[in-house]
Amino acid sequence: MSVRLTSIAAVLLTLASSAAFAQSKDALTIDLSGDAATLDPHLQWDTNSYSIYRNIFDNLLTRNPAGEIVPQIAKSWKYADDKTIEFEIRDDVTFQDGSKLTAEDVAFSINRIIDPKLKSPQLTQFDQISKAEVSGPNKVTMTTKSAYPALLAQLVKLSIVPKAYVEKVGDQEFNAKPLGSGPYKLANWQKGVQTELEAYGSYWRVKPPFAKVTFRTVPDASTRLADLKTGKADLIGGVTPDQAAGMKSETAIKVLSAPTERVGYLYINAEAGPTKDVRVRQAIAYAIDRSALIEALLAGYGNPVNIVGAKPIFGYTDKVEGYAYDPEKAKALVKEAGAEGAKLEFLTSPAYNRATIEAIQQMINEVGLNVEIASSDQATFLKRRQGEPANAGSMAFGAWSCACQDADGIIFPLFRSGSIWAKYKNPQYDALVDGARVTLDKNERLAKYEQAYQILKDDVPGIGLYQAFAIYGANTKLNWTPTANEAMFVTDMSWQQ
Amino acid sequence: MLRYAVQRLIQAVIAIFGVLTIVFVVMHFSGDPTLLLVPPDASAQMIAELRHQLGFDQPLWVQYLNYLGGLIRFDFGQSVVQRIPAIDIVMSRVPYTMMLAGGAIVVAVGIGIPAGIMMATRRGGWLERVLTAIVVTGQSVPTFLSGILLIFVFAVTLRWLPTSGSGDFASLIMPSVALGALSMSTFARMTRISIIDELGKDYVRAGRARGLSMGSVVTRHVLRNAAIPVITIAALEIGNLLAGAVIVETVFAWPGIGQLAIQSIQSRDFLVVQVIVLLISFVYVLTSVAADFVYALVDPRIRLAR
Repeated sequence: MSVRLTSIAAVLLTLASSAAFAQSKDALTIDLSGDAATLDPHLQWDTNSYSIYRNIFDNLLTRNPAGEIVPQIAKSWKYADDKTIEFEIRDDVTFQDGSKLTAEDVAFSINRIIDPKLKSPQLTQFDQISKAEVSGPNKVTMTTKSAYPALLAQLVKLSIVPKAYVEKVGDQEFNAKPLGSGPYKLANWQKGVQTELEAYGSYWRVKPPFAKVTFRTVPDASTRLADLKTGKADLIGGVTPDQAAGMKSETAIKVLSAPTERVGYLYINAEAGPTKDVRVRQAIAYAIDRSALIEALLAGYGNPVNIVGAKPIFGYTDKVEGYAYDPEKAKALVKEAGAEGAKLEFLTSPAYNRATIEAIQQMINEVGLNVEIASSDQATFLKRRQGEPANAGSMAFGAWSCACQDADGIIFPLFRSGSIWAKYKNPQYDALVDGARVTLDKNERLAKYEQAYQILKDDVPGIGLYQAFAIYGANTKLNWTPTANEAMFVTDMSWQQ
Repeated sequence: MLRYAVQRLIQAVIAIFGVLTIVFVVMHFSGDPTLLLVPPDASAQMIAELRHQLGFDQPLWVQYLNYLGGLIRFDFGQSVVQRIPAIDIVMSRVPYTMMLAGGAIVVAVGIGIPAGIMMATRRGGWLERVLTAIVVTGQSVPTFLSGILLIFVFAVTLRWLPTSGSGDFASLIMPSVALGALSMSTFARMTRISIIDELGKDYVRAGRARGLSMGSVVTRHVLRNAAIPVITIAALEIGNLLAGAVIVETVFAWPGIGQLAIQSIQSRDFLVVQVIVLLISFVYVLTSVAADFVYALVDPRIRLAR
């Protein structure tokens, strides 16, 4: 009797579990390190915020998996002249309240984000646009202040918001209850806890793969990993290189990683202190063993770079040779410059990984210099780093991404004289990066950036260290390929039964 | 009593005023807060504009008066990041922090006081040794370690409890234990010491001489007298628990004000940080005043002393 009961129970269990397997997965849970700061896509653009709201909104343009700029809300575009570009807008897109997305909404979205009154933190990315106007049925004409080659790369991040709704409810209410034309609509936003999205049935592009998506706020990396292991989360962001190395032995979960456009770099003060001598700067460049940094600190989740920039950016060149690790040459240069034992101040703040800073310090000390780490709070750090060269220390580490995949967004702010970050002056360099900023001719731009990178190599106002990887942990059943721009589009994901 | 109360209240007001001033000074001398608010590629012009909008270009004393004026009107400013009033953001997290502090107090008092009583009355036995080990562990294992250990054992390995979250009662258990452990040890030690103190007094011997059992002497007389120092500690521990949950809240993804503080610091949302610092200081001042009152209420010697 008992045997029979057990076998019946076993059969029932098998049935129950196979039934569960047969159902498609309809709720996806993603653990992020923080909540969205705003769901108004024209306000904050930190990774956590846009991971969430880019699923609620469509962008004017987007990037395909290969990283190329392709149409999304704009069907096509053409330049009328260097400063005027006309977009044709799709006419089959609706917002999640059923209203139609029109050229009016597109023009409104652009004019809204460039309006200084909105005080958008993204303003610097769009402030080259002077205006946008509806120029016909489904046509929007955009004017830039001068010829602006990075325009399309920036418009990849421009979310289209509904004019009528935003004007009706106001900015504050729109942020609390966003409404877009994307594949998912907001179901419930428990600030600081989780954001629940549900599929928008009439989405124009594809059928959203999951009926419900929940983004949870889990600040601690170990807890996110525990959530993934226990199945509480299907996908987790912000995995550390150590964790990723440890996850490789697991079977139910996997590591997903992608090289990004973010580049780890070392700024070196070319205008003050011992590093004013170019030989000292070159010595520092020769002293750093990039492969060792990547192996020891990033567990292999990084690629060495030859320049301050990585492959996914426009303007990247492999024709400029980087500095190979050569401590002997570095020592010789230090000697030649008469800088043995020179005191170099290494500025940093708790925002940067201490182990990285110390490893770099060690490497530079080994070639005969004397690096002292000056750690302060972020506000003081920025004040010094962005202030007068004489007070800006000798070097600082950083990880830069403009989220625009263009050299203009990296080496212009970092090294163009007059920029708050630059502690370097070279009129020849300035002319090149200025020139590359105002021409639409791709080949001319590439040539200019190649020359600019060559000058940076010779003058060493900074060096590229590594291309950073975005690392995620996922259930083995989740299919998804992360991209260079650290986007998290749920429509690119699927569940394997 | 009235005189004592007025004195303590005046002291509290001075303390809170001091905190307000220190917060202001620290914020304005550690660097220009504007730099923290702008994106890294901001132009000098944009920085200047924002500095003007936020009033950071005004003389320091004007800013100080504006700041105090705002506080009087209960206006703590708007979160620069989330674009909603900073006070609303903080207040939405207070219930979670109170829930967690409540759970931790239940753990601390529920385990700590009985353990203290046992340790005092069963001295020298195996039970005392076991309890001592627990108490020492509770006070010496840091929460970032105990939190992760709890998750590993009870959530990942045994799968009894959820790894993180705040939706249900089950997810309150581990954070409460992790947070309450230190206070539990404090309660256990205090209870043990004050009971041992009392046990040496004449009234205990007198009670035993009258033929009362040890158990009834303890429950009827000793506990009541030993409670006085424990109550004082309790009031101070409440302050600690409300303010000291930063790590536990981060580890367990518990959305209280400790976690909010870390997030706000990271996202450079300094007005929210300021509200949190004020709130925590306020709680500390308030609980220590409350402790003084309770102490004075139960012990007339305090309120009569000059």
